[in-house]
Amino acid sequence: MTAPVLELDGLSIATPDRTLVHDCTLTISAGEAVGLVGESGSGKTLSVRAVAGLLPGHFTTGGTIRVLGQDISATPPAVLRDLRARRVGMIFQTPRAHLNPLRTIGDFLTEAQVAVDGVSPEAATRRAQELLDEVGITDAARRLKQFPAELSGGLLQRVMIAATLAMDPEILLADEITTALDVTTQEEVMALIGDLRRERQLSLLFITHDLALAGAVCDRVAVMQQGRTVETLNAATMRRDAREEYTRVLMSAALGDGTTASLQPAGDSPEPEPELEPEPELKLHAAAELAAPILSVAGLRKTFQVRSASGGGRETFVAVEDVAFELAPGGCLGIVGESGSGKSTTARIICGLERADAGSVMVGGDDWSRPARGGAARRVRAKTVQMVFQDPYQSLDRRQTVRQCLTEAIRVHQKRAPQAVVDARIGELAGQARLDTALLDVRPRALSGGQRQRVAIARALAAEPEILVLDEAVSALDVTTQVEILTLLDAIRRETGVALLMITHDLTVIRRLCDGVVVMRSGRVEEAGPTSELLDAPRAEYTRLLLDSIPREGWIPRRRRLGRTSAIPTMTGPIAATASTDARFESKGRS
Amino acid sequence: MSVAQLAGGRSPQAITRVARKDWLFRSALVVFGLVALAALAGPWIAPYDPAELYTGDVNGIGSLAHPFGTDDVGRDILSRVLAGARTSVIAPIAVVVLSTVLGSALAIAAAWFGGVLRGAIARIVDVIFAIPGLVLAVLAVAMFGKGVLAPVIALSIAYVPVVARLTQTAASRELGKPYIAALRVQGVSGPAICFRHLVPALIPVIAAQVAVGFGYAMLDLAAISFLGLGEQPPAADWGSMIAGGQAGILAGAPEQALYPALFVVVTVLSVSVIGARITTWAEEKER
Amino acid sequence: MNSLLIRTLVGRLGGLLLTLFLASVVIYAALLLTPGDPIAALAGGAKPTPELIVQIRAEYHLDDPIWSRYLQWLGGVFSGDFGRSFVYKTDVLNLVAPRFGVTLQLVLLTVAIILIAGVGSGILAATRGPRVDRAVGLLTALGMALPTFVVAILLIWIFAKTLGWFPVYGEGSGGWDRLWHLTLPACSLAVLFIAYISRVTRSSLVAQLHSEHVETARVRGIPRGRIFRVHVFRNAAPQILAISGTTVAGLFAAAAIAEQAFGLGGIGSLLTEAAARKDLPVVQLVSLLLVTIFVVLNAVADIVSALIDPDSINAGRAA
Repeated sequence: MTAPVLELDGLSIATPDRTLVHDCTLTISAGEAVGLVGESGSGKTLSVRAVAGLLPGHFTTGGTIRVLGQDISATPPAVLRDLRARRVGMIFQTPRAHLNPLRTIGDFLTEAQVAVDGVSPEAATRRAQELLDEVGITDAARRLKQFPAELSGGLLQRVMIAATLAMDPEILLADEITTALDVTTQEEVMALIGDLRRERQLSLLFITHDLALAGAVCDRVAVMQQGRTVETLNAATMRRDAREEYTRVLMSAALGDGTTASLQPAGDSPEPEPELEPEPELKLHAAAELAAPILSVAGLRKTFQVRSASGGGRETFVAVEDVAFELAPGGCLGIVGESGSGKSTTARIICGLERADAGSVMVGGDDWSRPARGGAARRVRAKTVQMVFQDPYQSLDRRQTVRQCLTEAIRVHQKRAPQAVVDARIGELAGQARLDTALLDVRPRALSGGQRQRVAIARALAAEPEILVLDEAVSALDVTTQVEILTLLDAIRRETGVALLMITHDLTVIRRLCDGVVVMRSGRVEEAGPTSELLDAPRAEYTRLLLDSIPREGWIPRRRRLGRTSAIPTMTGPIAATASTDARFESKGRS
Repeated sequence: MSVAQLAGGRSPQAITRVARKDWLFRSALVVFGLVALAALAGPWIAPYDPAELYTGDVNGIGSLAHPFGTDDVGRDILSRVLAGARTSVIAPIAVVVLSTVLGSALAIAAAWFGGVLRGAIARIVDVIFAIPGLVLAVLAVAMFGKGVLAPVIALSIAYVPVVARLTQTAASRELGKPYIAALRVQGVSGPAICFRHLVPALIPVIAAQVAVGFGYAMLDLAAISFLGLGEQPPAADWGSMIAGGQAGILAGAPEQALYPALFVVVTVLSVSVIGARITTWAEEKER
Repeated sequence: MNSLLIRTLVGRLGGLLLTLFLASVVIYAALLLTPGDPIAALAGGAKPTPELIVQIRAEYHLDDPIWSRYLQWLGGVFSGDFGRSFVYKTDVLNLVAPRFGVTLQLVLLTVAIILIAGVGSGILAATRGPRVDRAVGLLTALGMALPTFVVAILLIWIFAKTLGWFPVYGEGSGGWDRLWHLTLPACSLAVLFIAYISRVTRSSLVAQLHSEHVETARVRGIPRGRIFRVHVFRNAAPQILAISGTTVAGLFAAAAIAEQAFGLGGIGSLLTEAAARKDLPVVQLVSLLLVTIFVVLNAVADIVSALIDPDSINAGRAA
């Protein structure tokens, strides 16, 4: 073992009001990769920012940070700046925000070389081209002249990596660098990081919320909870070695069913709900299979007019093309796909938020491909289909208390019901959503992410719908909360017989909950079938790629090219256009 | 529940909450309250009839009988400042109320209906924006004659673009949020979404504009009076008093210009402090 | 220049012409909307003689339909025939041309003062620590409450009456004398706008200083001076420029107040006088002139900030 390149010992970080990080302790040896894993608010990002010298001025730190043997509190600022500039590289979650939008990629790659190292501009440009080659970006000469807005999020992340390599750093600090990326792009970026580590003997501090990913790409993993590193484990044996309760909870959430079909979360959730223990065998409802479908979609097509990327004028962007599937009463169907696959647009058409250009949406025998006209028709549809959105905070009116919110949803259908009836119904809904009734008179801001999503679910259930559409309903939540909400949804399905349509980018969600799955890509259905069949023996190459991209034990990320659609503008909503697609997706990430 | 109830039920609470920890804001509220009192009760609390000539010396300096002194024809300056408060304060309020109602209505209509209507409203707003407020006011005076009414109407129209643009941006952002989509999926009717959710969400933004707009309206209207196109003699507001007092400055008696000027500045300052706090409050609401 | 940029520019130019056309309709319509007898209005409030009535009817084609009268007026404006002032009994152009020079000089001097003091104090506030920031913040808060006419009487009282350094009245006789005469008016006109530009400059710089791309530059060890020039100021410039453009455009109209206070013979004081005396041909022409200047300068500021900010065009595409 060589001397450690980075040591954090009892690091604490505080604002004048409160302490955010109490004790972050970890050591990275030369060439080693260490993952720092935790949920939102665990203090992992603050800790890495302290190493990089990026804390806001009013933050104070305690404990020691030693970078390449230098105690940073005892190092003169100028020396420290030089040390960080030359020997420590950092990459961030949102590359688009971290690149100056008014400067070209070439400017970005050469700037530090010229301004810090005094390299001549010509030499710096040559080096920039080599670096782009090294990170796998083709056509380097053209890329150097482009602006960040012209590149996708995955490419920008490679550019960020190339820029840090320009200084030949010894340590790479990576803060949630793939959170905003699609899973296949994540694999490519991680493969690149792996190659670079091998070739350059880079040490890596890898910050992520995803324990499975950290376990797959790091040598060791430190788990952080509420400002403390609770334990540090060897990545290869962490499943066996984990001692802390919290680590095991995280592990069951992240790895519990990454590759196996097990539905059972291995550990207990932080709020044990014994009556909700899911049953492994409830996957197929034989009766449901036989009944006529409650929802049947065929030949669905939706286009948007977007401004052309190449110049003026407008061009037609096909968001959804020839999509067809069926949902059985009380069944659970998943639609899985990456950004731009058209899955959310499909969901919005079914809920009447968009109007299809062609095709049919049959719900219980009625054609719903056009939005309802008139209040009565809208209410009939509301009683049949309800929706839960991705961002639980934004999908609640922040001025309404939970009670007001639920009252409004109930009164849509029972306008003149006496207050007592409404109150009773609110109690019932809170019970269904496992929502503490003490929270009824609170506004969304005071609720946690999971509680907000429970409110949104309760509100959707107010109409006693037959179909519940969940548009990425758990992807903005912490992993442990995800498990709770998924367990809750499964329980609700059993209790009320509501059919679920899960829109998600996450195959583990599908595996956990759905009987059937539809795989979408670039607006089309790639493949559809029963979950176990399709995920265990995928026929479409794309489905295999999606499955292979999921981080798991023994996973080795690979660089591959499956004619990925960088030329096709990808978008998920009516207003998003080419340049903003990644930005939309990036907003999904946690910090 | 009406818009007014929602607005009345929340904003004063929020204002008082902020007020408790902010002496600057509190003194601004006191100052503006005093000015508003003068605007309401000025003529009754004034020691003299503001139009009465030779109540004391000509160009007299401050004394117990005439705290602010007297002007070039011996009128009591304090009485005139108090009497002038009415026009000086109420006219800007009229401008702000008219432009806010008109601008917000256009903005909400544009954001809600979109399409052709939004385009048409944007064009109207562009054309109004192309004519500077002062020019529109002077044009109105040329048409309807001197006085307060023409400038008030002109400025009410001239301020519409600013209100409309800011409100429409806020309204479009609000309409893009998933909770609006959630309400639609629930089957809540359009008018209910608009008046129970959208409009209350915009109240902080609109309130902030009202305060800022009042300051601008007061300055613009005083400027028009200063140009001699507003309140006509023998009536006077602060702007026309400053214009009338300019000769006094050269004659070595600056009081008759300085006191009304002081009142303009102090009032605008107090309103801008109040406006800044409302803006902060609006931003907090947005988070 | 890519085709997207050209398209954007052409689109803005089209919008500009349409706006100007509609604004001219509004201004012309003002004449028709004037209550009372248009002839009395056109005669400048004087009791019209029968000959004058005939003359006015002929000159304004009062017997033609409205649209035809508008087109004739617009055609006159384009061919240099701006009509006659009934108050001054002379061609409007003869009235406006010499006065425009005074206003232009006043505005240019004011712009120089505003940009130096406003942008300068904004930079100080954003970069020289919290104490400077608070001091500049207080001064600008005060400045925003100091209208031109109040500053004017204060300056007259202090620098003209008490100290006797500057003249009180008139525009002087060209050259240094003109500059000496215009200094106080320009200062009085500038104060409010300095405060405004200072605040805009500060807030757009602070937004950039806190941006993530500046954070990246800091992690990479780029020297502070370069970060400020290349990443902070350069990125804030389009916004500062766009708002300065609107401000400068508005100065031509706001100049009327300074001209009135200091007895300058500019177009603003001409407009005021004409409005007071209901001299509608003069009011119309000066209004149209001011609107044209305002719209064109706004468009120029818009286009220039678009040229230095390719992102704004991309943003336009995404919208």
